[in-house]
Amino acid sequence: MFRYKLGITLILLNLTIVSTFAQETDTTEVEEDFSMYADAELADGSKRYCTFKVFDQSPNKLISVGYDFQTGYDFTFQNIQGNGSTTLKNRVNHGIRLGANVPVISTTSWLVNLGFSYWETHYDFENETAHPLAQALENSGLRTIGISGTIFKPLNEKNFVLTSFNADLNGDYTLPGFQDAGLTRISGTLVYGWKKHDRLLYGFGLSRSYRIGEANYLPVILYNYTFPSRKWGVEAIFPARANLRRTFNTRTIAMFGYELEGQTYRINQLTNNGIANAELRRSELRARITLERSLKDFLWVSFQAGFRYDWNINLDEGDRFRGFGDDAYRLENDLSNALYFNFSINLVSP
Amino acid sequence: MLRSIFSLLILIQSSLLFAQSDKPAVADMLTGVWETGSGKARVKIDKVGDVYTGKIVWLREPNNEEGKPKVDKNNPDENMRTKPLLGYKMLQNFVYAGDKVWEDGTIYDPESGSTYSCTITMTDDNTLDVRGYIGVTLFGRTDTWKRVMLKKK
Repeated sequence: MFRYKLGITLILLNLTIVSTFAQETDTTEVEEDFSMYADAELADGSKRYCTFKVFDQSPNKLISVGYDFQTGYDFTFQNIQGNGSTTLKNRVNHGIRLGANVPVISTTSWLVNLGFSYWETHYDFENETAHPLAQALENSGLRTIGISGTIFKPLNEKNFVLTSFNADLNGDYTLPGFQDAGLTRISGTLVYGWKKHDRLLYGFGLSRSYRIGEANYLPVILYNYTFPSRKWGVEAIFPARANLRRTFNTRTIAMFGYELEGQTYRINQLTNNGIANAELRRSELRARITLERSLKDFLWVSFQAGFRYDWNINLDEGDRFRGFGDDAYRLENDLSNALYFNFSINLVSP
Repeated sequence: MLRSIFSLLILIQSSLLFAQSDKPAVADMLTGVWETGSGKARVKIDKVGDVYTGKIVWLREPNNEEGKPKVDKNNPDENMRTKPLLGYKMLQNFVYAGDKVWEDGTIYDPESGSTYSCTITMTDDNTLDVRGYIGVTLFGRTDTWKRVMLKKK
Protein backbone atom coordinates (compact mmCIF):
# COMPACT_ATOMS: atom_id res chain seq x y z
CA MET A 1 0.00 0.00 0.00
CA PHE A 2 2.82 2.34 0.93
CA ARG A 3 4.50 1.66 -2.44
CA TYR A 4 1.30 2.65 -4.27
CA LYS A 5 0.99 5.84 -2.21
CA LEU A 6 4.64 6.64 -2.89
CA GLY A 7 4.12 6.00 -6.60
CA ILE A 8 1.07 8.27 -6.81
CA THR A 9 2.92 10.98 -4.85
CA LEU A 10 5.88 10.82 -7.23
CA ILE A 11 3.61 10.98 -10.27
CA LEU A 12 1.86 14.06 -8.87
CA LEU A 13 5.23 15.58 -8.00
CA ASN A 14 6.47 15.00 -11.55
CA LEU A 15 3.36 16.48 -13.07
CA THR A 16 3.79 19.51 -10.81
CA ILE A 17 7.42 20.00 -11.86
CA VAL A 18 6.62 19.62 -15.56
CA SER A 19 3.71 22.01 -15.15
CA THR A 20 5.94 24.51 -13.37
CA PHE A 21 8.45 24.48 -16.25
CA ALA A 22 5.64 24.84 -18.73
CA GLN A 23 4.52 27.95 -16.89
CA GLU A 24 8.05 29.33 -16.81
CA THR A 25 8.32 29.15 -20.60
CA ASP A 26 4.96 30.83 -20.97
CA THR A 27 5.24 34.19 -22.67
CA THR A 28 2.71 36.08 -20.58
CA GLU A 29 4.06 39.58 -19.93
CA VAL A 30 4.44 40.87 -16.44
CA GLU A 31 4.85 44.41 -15.22
CA GLU A 32 8.49 45.39 -15.12
CA ASP A 33 10.41 47.76 -12.97
CA PHE A 34 12.19 49.74 -15.70
CA SER A 35 14.45 51.50 -13.20
CA MET A 36 16.62 48.38 -13.10
CA TYR A 37 17.78 49.08 -16.67
CA ALA A 38 19.20 52.51 -15.87
CA ASP A 39 22.25 51.24 -14.02
CA ALA A 40 24.13 49.32 -16.67
CA GLU A 41 27.33 49.32 -18.65
CA LEU A 42 28.33 48.08 -22.08
CA ALA A 43 29.29 44.43 -21.89
CA ASP A 44 32.70 44.77 -23.52
CA GLY A 45 33.40 48.36 -22.52
CA SER A 46 33.21 49.50 -26.14
CA LYS A 47 32.94 53.16 -27.13
CA ARG A 48 29.78 55.06 -27.87
CA TYR A 49 29.63 57.26 -30.96
CA CYS A 50 27.61 60.28 -31.91
CA THR A 51 25.26 60.27 -34.89
CA PHE A 52 24.98 62.90 -37.60
CA LYS A 53 21.31 63.60 -37.00
CA VAL A 54 19.66 66.04 -34.69
CA PHE A 55 16.04 65.68 -33.65
CA ASP A 56 13.54 66.30 -36.47
CA GLN A 57 16.21 66.83 -39.13
CA SER A 58 14.81 66.76 -42.64
CA PRO A 59 14.98 63.26 -44.16
CA ASN A 60 17.93 62.12 -46.22
CA LYS A 61 16.84 61.42 -49.81
CA LEU A 62 17.97 58.03 -51.10
CA ILE A 63 16.44 58.48 -54.55
CA SER A 64 15.03 61.68 -55.99
CA VAL A 65 13.21 62.33 -59.25
CA GLY A 66 12.54 66.00 -59.82
CA TYR A 67 11.74 68.73 -62.29
CA ASP A 68 13.06 72.29 -62.18
CA PHE A 69 11.41 75.25 -63.89
CA GLN A 70 12.32 78.95 -64.19
CA THR A 71 10.06 81.65 -65.53
CA GLY A 72 11.19 83.91 -68.41
CA TYR A 73 13.97 86.47 -68.09
CA ASP A 74 16.34 88.63 -70.15
CA PHE A 75 19.77 87.20 -70.95
CA THR A 76 22.30 89.89 -71.88
CA PHE A 77 25.31 88.50 -73.79
CA GLN A 78 28.53 90.41 -74.34
CA ASN A 79 29.22 90.19 -78.04
CA ILE A 80 31.99 87.79 -79.08
CA GLN A 81 34.01 90.61 -80.62
CA GLY A 82 33.79 92.43 -77.29
CA ASN A 83 31.94 95.49 -78.63
CA GLY A 84 28.56 95.93 -77.02
CA SER A 85 26.01 93.35 -75.98
CA THR A 86 22.89 91.56 -77.15
CA THR A 87 19.87 91.02 -74.95
CA LEU A 88 17.60 88.09 -75.71
CA LYS A 89 14.46 86.91 -74.02
CA ASN A 90 14.69 83.37 -72.62
CA ARG A 91 11.12 82.17 -72.27
CA VAL A 92 11.86 79.37 -69.85
CA ASN A 93 14.51 77.15 -68.25
CA HIS A 94 13.45 73.66 -67.39
CA GLY A 95 14.85 70.19 -66.92
CA ILE A 96 14.79 66.99 -64.93
CA ARG A 97 16.92 66.41 -61.86
CA LEU A 98 17.68 62.84 -60.82
CA GLY A 99 19.64 61.90 -57.75
CA ALA A 100 20.63 58.89 -55.68
CA ASN A 101 22.48 58.85 -52.39
CA VAL A 102 22.79 55.37 -50.94
CA PRO A 103 24.58 54.29 -47.77
CA VAL A 104 27.06 51.55 -48.69
CA ILE A 105 28.59 51.31 -45.23
CA SER A 106 26.33 52.17 -42.37
CA THR A 107 27.53 51.32 -38.91
CA THR A 108 27.68 53.22 -35.67
CA SER A 109 31.35 54.04 -36.20
CA TRP A 110 31.34 54.62 -39.99
CA LEU A 111 28.84 55.98 -42.44
CA VAL A 112 29.74 55.99 -46.14
CA ASN A 113 27.29 57.14 -48.80
CA LEU A 114 27.76 57.03 -52.55
CA GLY A 115 25.68 59.15 -54.85
CA PHE A 116 24.83 59.82 -58.45
CA SER A 117 23.19 62.85 -60.04
CA TYR A 118 21.92 63.85 -63.44
CA TRP A 119 20.62 67.38 -64.11
CA GLU A 120 19.41 68.97 -67.32
CA THR A 121 18.76 72.64 -68.09
CA HIS A 122 16.99 73.49 -71.33
CA TYR A 123 16.69 76.97 -72.82
CA ASP A 124 14.04 78.46 -75.08
CA PHE A 125 15.26 81.79 -76.53
CA GLU A 126 13.50 84.19 -78.79
CA ASN A 127 15.84 84.73 -81.79
CA GLU A 128 18.66 82.55 -80.44
CA THR A 129 20.63 82.95 -83.68
CA ALA A 130 21.52 86.49 -82.60
CA HIS A 131 24.35 85.20 -80.38
CA PRO A 132 26.48 82.03 -80.65
CA LEU A 133 26.21 81.27 -76.92
CA ALA A 134 22.42 81.53 -77.06
CA GLN A 135 22.48 79.25 -80.10
CA ALA A 136 24.62 76.69 -78.20
CA LEU A 137 22.38 76.77 -75.14
CA GLU A 138 19.26 76.48 -77.27
CA ASN A 139 20.69 73.56 -79.23
CA SER A 140 21.87 71.37 -76.39
CA GLY A 141 21.09 72.96 -73.07
CA LEU A 142 23.37 72.17 -70.14
CA ARG A 143 23.93 68.83 -68.48
CA THR A 144 25.61 67.62 -65.32
CA ILE A 145 26.42 64.01 -64.61
CA GLY A 146 28.08 63.49 -61.28
CA ILE A 147 29.12 60.99 -58.68
CA SER A 148 29.59 61.81 -55.03
CA GLY A 149 30.76 60.29 -51.80
CA THR A 150 30.21 61.26 -48.18
CA ILE A 151 32.00 59.85 -45.18
CA PHE A 152 30.87 60.52 -41.63
CA LYS A 153 33.33 59.32 -39.04
CA PRO A 154 32.34 59.81 -35.40
CA LEU A 155 35.38 59.85 -33.15
CA ASN A 156 33.47 59.49 -29.89
CA GLU A 157 30.17 60.65 -28.40
CA LYS A 158 30.93 64.32 -29.08
CA ASN A 159 33.27 64.75 -32.03
CA PHE A 160 33.15 63.77 -35.67
CA VAL A 161 34.77 64.31 -39.05
CA LEU A 162 32.65 64.79 -42.15
CA THR A 163 34.12 64.70 -45.62
CA SER A 164 32.52 64.67 -49.03
CA PHE A 165 33.59 64.82 -52.65
CA ASN A 166 31.89 65.37 -55.99
CA ALA A 167 33.14 64.56 -59.49
CA ASP A 168 30.99 66.24 -62.14
CA LEU A 169 30.97 66.36 -65.90
CA ASN A 170 29.25 69.60 -66.94
CA GLY A 171 28.66 71.01 -70.36
CA ASP A 172 26.66 71.33 -73.55
CA TYR A 173 27.20 67.70 -74.45
CA THR A 174 24.38 65.44 -75.49
CA LEU A 175 23.78 61.84 -74.55
CA PRO A 176 25.35 59.44 -75.17
CA GLY A 177 28.20 61.62 -76.43
CA PHE A 178 29.39 62.84 -73.00
CA GLN A 179 32.64 64.72 -72.72
CA ASP A 180 36.25 63.88 -72.25
CA ALA A 181 36.68 62.53 -68.70
CA GLY A 182 39.56 64.96 -68.35
CA LEU A 183 36.98 67.72 -68.04
CA THR A 184 35.65 66.25 -64.79
CA ARG A 185 35.43 68.90 -62.11
CA ILE A 186 36.27 67.85 -58.58
CA SER A 187 34.94 69.51 -55.45
CA GLY A 188 35.01 68.49 -51.82
CA THR A 189 34.50 69.47 -48.21
CA LEU A 190 36.19 68.54 -44.95
CA VAL A 191 34.55 69.45 -41.64
CA TYR A 192 35.48 68.78 -38.02
CA GLY A 193 32.46 68.91 -35.79
CA TRP A 194 30.95 68.65 -32.36
CA LYS A 195 27.67 67.05 -31.40
CA LYS A 196 26.75 68.90 -28.26
CA HIS A 197 23.45 67.11 -27.68
CA ASP A 198 20.52 65.55 -29.56
CA ARG A 199 19.39 68.97 -30.80
CA LEU A 200 22.68 70.59 -31.75
CA LEU A 201 25.67 69.79 -33.88
CA TYR A 202 28.10 72.14 -35.55
CA GLY A 203 31.42 72.08 -37.29
CA PHE A 204 34.03 74.09 -39.14
CA GLY A 205 35.95 73.22 -42.23
CA LEU A 206 37.12 74.03 -45.71
CA SER A 207 35.72 73.32 -49.13
CA ARG A 208 36.78 73.42 -52.74
CA SER A 209 33.63 74.36 -54.53
CA TYR A 210 32.18 75.47 -57.85
CA ARG A 211 29.07 76.97 -56.31
CA ILE A 212 30.04 80.47 -57.39
CA GLY A 213 30.41 79.12 -60.94
CA GLU A 214 34.17 78.58 -60.80
CA ALA A 215 36.70 76.88 -58.61
CA ASN A 216 37.05 78.47 -55.23
CA TYR A 217 38.20 77.64 -51.72
CA LEU A 218 35.92 78.68 -48.93
CA PRO A 219 35.57 78.14 -45.19
CA VAL A 220 32.51 76.10 -44.22
CA ILE A 221 30.31 76.32 -41.15
CA LEU A 222 28.01 73.40 -40.44
CA TYR A 223 25.16 74.11 -38.04
CA ASN A 224 22.15 71.88 -37.35
CA TYR A 225 19.98 72.89 -34.44
CA THR A 226 16.48 72.08 -33.21
CA PHE A 227 14.87 74.42 -30.72
CA PRO A 228 13.63 72.92 -27.42
CA SER A 229 10.01 73.21 -28.57
CA ARG A 230 10.90 70.83 -31.47
CA LYS A 231 8.78 73.01 -33.77
CA TRP A 232 11.63 75.00 -35.32
CA GLY A 233 15.17 74.26 -36.33
CA VAL A 234 18.10 75.38 -38.44
CA GLU A 235 19.90 73.29 -41.05
CA ALA A 236 22.89 75.04 -42.58
CA ILE A 237 26.13 74.32 -44.29
CA PHE A 238 27.20 77.89 -44.84
CA PRO A 239 27.77 79.43 -47.37
CA ALA A 240 26.30 76.72 -49.65
CA ARG A 241 22.85 76.68 -48.08
CA ALA A 242 20.91 77.55 -44.96
CA ASN A 243 17.34 76.81 -43.97
CA LEU A 244 15.05 77.63 -41.10
CA ARG A 245 12.96 74.50 -40.59
CA ARG A 246 9.39 74.36 -39.32
CA THR A 247 8.29 70.90 -38.24
CA PHE A 248 4.53 70.50 -38.30
CA ASN A 249 4.80 66.78 -37.52
CA THR A 250 7.10 63.94 -38.48
CA ARG A 251 5.52 63.77 -41.93
CA THR A 252 5.27 67.43 -42.85
CA ILE A 253 8.00 70.07 -42.76
CA ALA A 254 8.58 73.48 -44.30
CA MET A 255 11.90 75.22 -44.85
CA PHE A 256 12.71 78.86 -45.50
CA GLY A 257 16.16 79.63 -46.80
CA TYR A 258 18.52 79.75 -49.69
CA GLU A 259 20.97 77.65 -51.69
CA LEU A 260 23.86 78.74 -53.85
CA GLU A 261 23.99 76.45 -56.91
CA GLY A 262 26.78 76.59 -59.44
CA GLN A 263 29.09 74.81 -61.84
CA THR A 264 31.42 75.58 -64.71
CA TYR A 265 30.09 74.14 -68.00
CA ARG A 266 32.30 73.33 -70.99
CA ILE A 267 30.66 74.82 -74.13
CA ASN A 268 32.21 72.97 -77.04
CA GLN A 269 29.98 74.62 -79.62
CA LEU A 270 31.87 77.93 -79.27
CA THR A 271 35.13 76.48 -80.59
CA ASN A 272 34.12 77.52 -84.11
CA ASN A 273 33.64 81.08 -82.86
CA GLY A 274 37.26 81.39 -81.86
CA ILE A 275 36.84 80.67 -78.14
CA ALA A 276 38.85 77.59 -77.24
CA ASN A 277 37.97 75.74 -74.04
CA ALA A 278 34.94 77.98 -73.43
CA GLU A 279 33.37 77.47 -70.00
CA LEU A 280 30.18 79.07 -68.78
CA ARG A 281 30.48 80.06 -65.12
CA ARG A 282 26.91 79.59 -64.00
CA SER A 283 25.87 80.33 -60.44
CA GLU A 284 22.45 81.08 -58.99
CA LEU A 285 21.37 82.14 -55.55
CA ARG A 286 17.99 80.59 -54.88
CA ALA A 287 15.91 82.04 -52.05
CA ARG A 288 12.98 79.74 -51.50
CA ILE A 289 10.27 78.12 -49.48
CA THR A 290 10.31 74.32 -49.44
CA LEU A 291 7.43 72.11 -48.40
CA GLU A 292 8.10 68.41 -47.82
CA ARG A 293 5.50 65.85 -46.97
CA SER A 294 5.35 62.09 -46.66
CA LEU A 295 2.86 60.66 -49.14
CA LYS A 296 3.10 57.19 -47.71
CA ASP A 297 5.74 55.79 -45.40
CA PHE A 298 9.08 56.52 -47.05
CA LEU A 299 7.77 58.18 -50.17
CA TRP A 300 8.02 61.94 -49.83
CA VAL A 301 7.07 64.78 -52.09
CA SER A 302 8.95 68.07 -52.11
CA PHE A 303 7.81 71.37 -53.60
CA GLN A 304 9.99 74.47 -53.82
CA ALA A 305 9.09 77.97 -54.94
CA GLY A 306 11.40 80.92 -54.87
CA PHE A 307 13.40 83.67 -56.42
CA ARG A 308 16.42 83.00 -58.63
CA TYR A 309 19.10 85.67 -58.34
CA ASP A 310 21.89 85.69 -60.94
CA TRP A 311 25.24 85.32 -59.16
CA ASN A 312 27.43 84.54 -62.17
CA ILE A 313 26.79 83.75 -65.85
CA ASN A 314 30.07 84.87 -67.41
CA LEU A 315 32.08 82.98 -69.99
CA ASP A 316 35.70 82.11 -69.35
CA GLU A 317 38.33 79.86 -70.85
CA GLY A 318 39.36 76.66 -69.08
CA ASP A 319 39.06 75.78 -65.42
CA ARG A 320 41.08 77.95 -63.11
CA PHE A 321 41.06 79.47 -59.67
CA ARG A 322 40.64 83.23 -60.03
CA GLY A 323 40.74 83.97 -56.32
CA PHE A 324 38.77 87.00 -55.31
CA GLY A 325 40.27 89.31 -57.90
CA ASP A 326 38.29 91.04 -60.63
CA ASP A 327 40.08 89.86 -63.78
CA ALA A 328 37.90 90.37 -66.83
CA TYR A 329 36.05 87.33 -68.14
CA ARG A 330 36.09 86.43 -71.82
CA LEU A 331 32.40 87.40 -72.05
CA GLU A 332 30.69 89.24 -69.23
CA ASN A 333 27.00 88.40 -69.33
CA ASP A 334 24.03 89.21 -67.20
CA LEU A 335 20.61 87.78 -66.37
CA SER A 336 17.53 89.50 -65.10
CA ASN A 337 16.11 87.61 -62.15
CA ALA A 338 13.29 85.10 -62.25
CA LEU A 339 10.96 82.98 -60.23
CA TYR A 340 11.62 79.29 -60.02
CA PHE A 341 9.78 76.13 -59.01
CA ASN A 342 11.04 72.66 -58.24
CA PHE A 343 9.02 69.54 -57.68
CA SER A 344 10.40 66.14 -56.69
CA ILE A 345 9.34 62.72 -55.49
CA ASN A 346 11.76 61.14 -53.08
CA LEU A 347 12.46 57.85 -51.38
CA VAL A 348 13.88 58.78 -48.00
CA SER A 349 16.26 56.94 -45.73
CA PRO A 350 15.24 55.12 -42.52
CA MET B 1 5.40 -2.25 -13.46
CA LEU B 2 5.21 0.78 -11.19
CA ARG B 3 8.99 0.84 -10.98
CA SER B 4 9.17 1.00 -14.76
CA ILE B 5 6.70 3.91 -14.91
CA PHE B 6 8.61 5.68 -12.17
CA SER B 7 11.93 5.20 -13.99
CA LEU B 8 10.42 6.51 -17.21
CA LEU B 9 9.09 9.61 -15.45
CA ILE B 10 12.45 10.24 -13.83
CA LEU B 11 14.07 9.96 -17.25
CA ILE B 12 11.60 12.40 -18.82
CA GLN B 13 11.96 14.82 -15.97
CA SER B 14 15.75 14.62 -16.11
CA SER B 15 15.64 15.38 -19.81
CA LEU B 16 13.46 18.41 -19.19
CA LEU B 17 15.67 19.63 -16.39
CA PHE B 18 18.77 19.10 -18.52
CA ALA B 19 17.19 20.98 -21.41
CA GLN B 20 16.39 23.89 -19.13
CA SER B 21 19.85 24.11 -17.67
CA ASP B 22 21.74 23.64 -20.92
CA LYS B 23 23.54 26.59 -22.54
CA PRO B 24 21.06 28.70 -24.48
CA ALA B 25 20.79 27.81 -28.12
CA VAL B 26 22.57 30.16 -30.53
CA ALA B 27 19.22 31.62 -31.51
CA ASP B 28 18.58 32.69 -27.92
CA MET B 29 21.83 34.64 -27.78
CA LEU B 30 19.75 37.48 -29.15
CA THR B 31 17.92 37.78 -25.87
CA GLY B 32 19.12 40.33 -23.37
CA VAL B 33 19.38 44.08 -23.01
CA TRP B 34 20.95 46.09 -25.84
CA GLU B 35 21.86 49.75 -26.22
CA THR B 36 21.19 51.46 -29.56
CA GLY B 37 24.04 53.05 -31.49
CA SER B 38 23.10 56.57 -30.46
CA GLY B 39 22.96 55.55 -26.80
CA LYS B 40 19.50 57.10 -26.57
CA ALA B 41 17.68 53.89 -25.69
CA ARG B 42 18.06 50.38 -24.36
CA VAL B 43 16.00 47.55 -25.73
CA LYS B 44 15.25 44.25 -24.03
CA ILE B 45 14.88 41.38 -26.47
CA ASP B 46 12.90 38.33 -25.41
CA LYS B 47 11.71 35.19 -27.09
CA VAL B 48 7.94 35.14 -27.30
CA GLY B 49 6.68 31.85 -28.66
CA ASP B 50 8.69 31.16 -31.78
CA VAL B 51 9.72 34.73 -32.47
CA TYR B 52 11.90 37.39 -30.88
CA THR B 53 10.59 40.78 -29.86
CA GLY B 54 12.21 43.77 -28.25
CA LYS B 55 10.83 46.52 -26.08
CA ILE B 56 12.24 49.83 -24.93
CA VAL B 57 13.27 49.57 -21.29
CA TRP B 58 15.35 52.72 -20.88
CA LEU B 59 15.52 56.15 -22.49
CA ARG B 60 18.33 58.64 -21.99
CA GLU B 61 15.69 61.38 -22.04
CA PRO B 62 12.59 59.67 -20.65
CA ASN B 63 10.50 62.83 -20.30
CA ASN B 64 9.16 65.27 -22.85
CA GLU B 65 9.62 69.04 -22.74
CA GLU B 66 6.74 69.26 -20.27
CA GLY B 67 8.47 66.90 -17.87
CA LYS B 68 6.02 64.08 -18.51
CA PRO B 69 6.99 60.55 -19.62
CA LYS B 70 7.40 60.38 -23.39
CA VAL B 71 4.61 58.76 -25.34
CA ASP B 72 4.48 57.44 -28.88
CA LYS B 73 3.18 60.76 -30.22
CA ASN B 74 4.43 60.20 -33.78
CA ASN B 75 2.61 56.93 -34.33
CA PRO B 76 0.45 57.06 -37.47
CA ASP B 77 -2.24 55.22 -35.51
CA GLU B 78 -3.91 57.88 -33.38
CA ASN B 79 -4.95 55.31 -30.79
CA MET B 80 -1.30 54.57 -30.06
CA ARG B 81 -0.19 58.15 -29.50
CA THR B 82 -0.80 58.07 -25.76
CA LYS B 83 1.04 54.81 -25.24
CA PRO B 84 4.24 55.27 -23.16
CA LEU B 85 7.50 54.71 -25.02
CA LEU B 86 8.90 52.80 -22.06
CA GLY B 87 7.78 49.27 -22.61
CA TYR B 88 6.95 49.86 -26.28
CA LYS B 89 7.61 46.87 -28.52
CA MET B 90 9.82 48.33 -31.21
CA LEU B 91 11.12 44.99 -32.53
CA GLN B 92 8.57 42.44 -33.71
CA ASN B 93 8.48 38.96 -35.23
CA PHE B 94 12.14 38.13 -35.70
CA VAL B 95 12.86 34.55 -36.69
CA TYR B 96 16.26 32.91 -36.41
CA ALA B 97 17.57 32.11 -39.88
CA GLY B 98 20.90 30.55 -38.92
CA ASP B 99 24.45 31.91 -38.96
CA LYS B 100 23.55 34.38 -36.19
CA VAL B 101 21.06 36.20 -38.40
CA TRP B 102 17.47 36.98 -37.38
CA GLU B 103 15.17 38.14 -40.13
CA ASP B 104 11.58 38.74 -41.27
CA GLY B 105 11.11 41.22 -38.44
CA THR B 106 10.21 44.87 -38.24
CA ILE B 107 11.67 47.80 -36.33
CA TYR B 108 9.69 50.84 -35.28
CA ASP B 109 11.35 54.26 -35.09
CA PRO B 110 9.47 56.34 -32.51
CA GLU B 111 11.20 59.52 -33.72
CA SER B 112 9.59 59.29 -37.14
CA GLY B 113 6.64 57.02 -36.45
CA SER B 114 7.84 54.73 -39.26
CA THR B 115 8.13 50.97 -39.28
CA TYR B 116 10.85 49.35 -41.38
CA SER B 117 11.68 45.85 -42.46
CA CYS B 118 14.63 44.69 -40.41
CA THR B 119 17.37 42.10 -40.24
CA ILE B 120 19.59 41.58 -37.20
CA THR B 121 23.09 40.14 -37.49
CA MET B 122 25.17 39.26 -34.44
CA THR B 123 28.74 40.20 -35.29
CA ASP B 124 30.08 39.07 -31.93
CA ASP B 125 28.49 37.96 -28.69
CA ASN B 126 27.98 41.56 -27.57
CA THR B 127 27.32 43.36 -30.86
CA LEU B 128 24.33 43.46 -33.18
CA ASP B 129 24.08 45.06 -36.60
CA VAL B 130 20.43 46.10 -36.84
CA ARG B 131 19.57 47.02 -40.42
CA GLY B 132 16.29 48.76 -41.10
CA TYR B 133 15.41 48.97 -44.76
CA ILE B 134 12.75 49.82 -47.29
CA GLY B 135 11.83 46.98 -49.62
CA VAL B 136 15.36 45.81 -50.37
CA THR B 137 18.24 45.88 -47.91
CA LEU B 138 20.25 48.24 -50.17
CA PHE B 139 17.92 51.08 -49.20
CA GLY B 140 18.53 51.01 -45.52
CA ARG B 141 20.62 51.99 -42.56
CA THR B 142 22.51 49.84 -40.11
CA ASP B 143 22.71 50.71 -36.46
CA THR B 144 25.19 48.89 -34.25
CA TRP B 145 23.80 47.87 -30.89
CA LYS B 146 25.86 46.82 -27.90
CA ARG B 147 24.87 44.39 -25.18
CA VAL B 148 24.63 45.97 -21.76
CA MET B 149 25.09 44.25 -18.45
CA LEU B 150 22.90 45.34 -15.59
CA LYS B 151 24.75 46.25 -12.46
CA LYS B 152 23.72 44.27 -9.44
CA LYS B 153 22.29 46.33 -6.61
